[in-house]
Amino acid sequence: MQKKSNIYRPPSTYLKAIGAIVWKDLASELRSRELISAMLVFALLVILIFNFAIELQPNLRSTITPGVLWVTFAFAGTLGLNRSMAVEKDRGCLDGLLLAPVDRSAIYFGKALSNLAFMLIVAIVVLPIYSVLYNINVFNPGLLLVIFLGSTGYVVVGTLLSSMAVQTRTRDVLLPVLLFPVIVPVLLAAVKASSGFLQNLSMSEIWPWLNILIAYDVIFTAVAYMVFDFVVEE
Amino acid sequence: MKPQPKALTILTVLSAVLFLGALGMVFLYAPLEEVMNYVQKIFYFHISNAWVGMLGFIVAAVAGVMYLVKKDMKWDIVELAAVEISLVFFLIAIVSGSIWAKPSWGTYWTWDARLTTAAILEMIYLAYLLLRQGIEDPERRARFSAVYTLIGAVSVPVTFLSIRIWQTIHPAVIGAGSSSGQGSFGMTPEMLTTMFFCLATFSVLFITLLWYRIRLGHLAEQVDQLKFRIMQ
Amino acid sequence: MIAYAISIKYMVTGYAVIFIVLATYLVSLIVRWQGLKRDLQTYEKLEERQ
Repeated sequence: MQKKSNIYRPPSTYLKAIGAIVWKDLASELRSRELISAMLVFALLVILIFNFAIELQPNLRSTITPGVLWVTFAFAGTLGLNRSMAVEKDRGCLDGLLLAPVDRSAIYFGKALSNLAFMLIVAIVVLPIYSVLYNINVFNPGLLLVIFLGSTGYVVVGTLLSSMAVQTRTRDVLLPVLLFPVIVPVLLAAVKASSGFLQNLSMSEIWPWLNILIAYDVIFTAVAYMVFDFVVEE
Repeated sequence: MKPQPKALTILTVLSAVLFLGALGMVFLYAPLEEVMNYVQKIFYFHISNAWVGMLGFIVAAVAGVMYLVKKDMKWDIVELAAVEISLVFFLIAIVSGSIWAKPSWGTYWTWDARLTTAAILEMIYLAYLLLRQGIEDPERRARFSAVYTLIGAVSVPVTFLSIRIWQTIHPAVIGAGSSSGQGSFGMTPEMLTTMFFCLATFSVLFITLLWYRIRLGHLAEQVDQLKFRIMQ
Repeated sequence: MIAYAISIKYMVTGYAVIFIVLATYLVSLIVRWQGLKRDLQTYEKLEERQ
């Protein structure tokens, strides 16, 4: 198992590797647009279903909105994570990346960043549509911050778990099963913080949730960094 | 397969004796509690099972780390054994807790920090087993299981704390009884003794069952290796 | 103060569940052990024949 290489490589190589992976994913997505379109359509369908499933009376909407949004992101996110990793595996890109003379964690960070980008793009499209459909203003800088922090937490763990799931027989089905129990703090804190911002609560009430999100992001980035080598060993 | 070590036989007998002793203490020695009388007696076994469930989780997490460091399959066997046994004991804890809760709190379930985390922990155990089921290669299965155990182990305290914070800001109020407390009865010395005895009993039972389950794991590995050799 | 009859009913149900689940698990361990032992003997015989 190769942990850290003994050859001195300037940090810029590491960053360049991450950048290369992110660029590859974004560029190929720009051309095909399959991932984002699938995520978007799915997200909009989920919101549509919520319309029938939950009575979104005007006075309830501000309390329900964060929950609906985050459930949508969580499920659409699973799609994105699955596809993103499956593409690597199926096209043999993963093996190619592994042969590259760069610390394996760079692969992890690269994939995580591109997954994050996809989630944020979906969020940016979904938010205005939600605003229009339910006549509620979700353009709140606080909310955008929460979406960023929450998506980061989701993607940090999700990328790691999807690299495992993609190597099993049960693949797509397995990722949500593995991911959701572990992602609960993110969902809880994100919904609470979003709710706080949308209802214009004082910062002192919102801070605990932001702290949980930040703590989760930091803790799990560290864990994933330490553990990723074990997941892509061959 | 090595014959059953004497220590294990002794442990088995000890577990059985302690178990009977615990039953005796619960039903014959411990006094009836004032408010909840008989149904309170579930608590002794409920807490013991929950304790063992948590203990098993820690054993699994440690075994996971040991596997990643040492790459010795025996740690994977320990890890699976610990998860499986914890799954069973924790399930018992959750169900017995619900049965206790109905007359005490008026509801079978409440979404407080402890119960929600318990449910999530049980889900993590199940996800672990599903993960293992989807991987054929034993080495990869061991690696991935260990990684997932680690992730689960880190996430559970964070989950518990987040829900706890949520509760202090929005305390849950359910029916008559306090649903956030452990049960507001004070424990007399006899009750405490019984409680500790039950905890000790289940700890011994846990070690005994873990040992048996590990032996089962080794036997399974032996069979797999033999099967592999023959199929060559 | 809860009625004795109700209380006892819940207690019995609780302990019944505890015993049943524990017993089921013990039985599953025994069954799996026997099955593996049989498999081991079968494979050992097959190996001898080879």
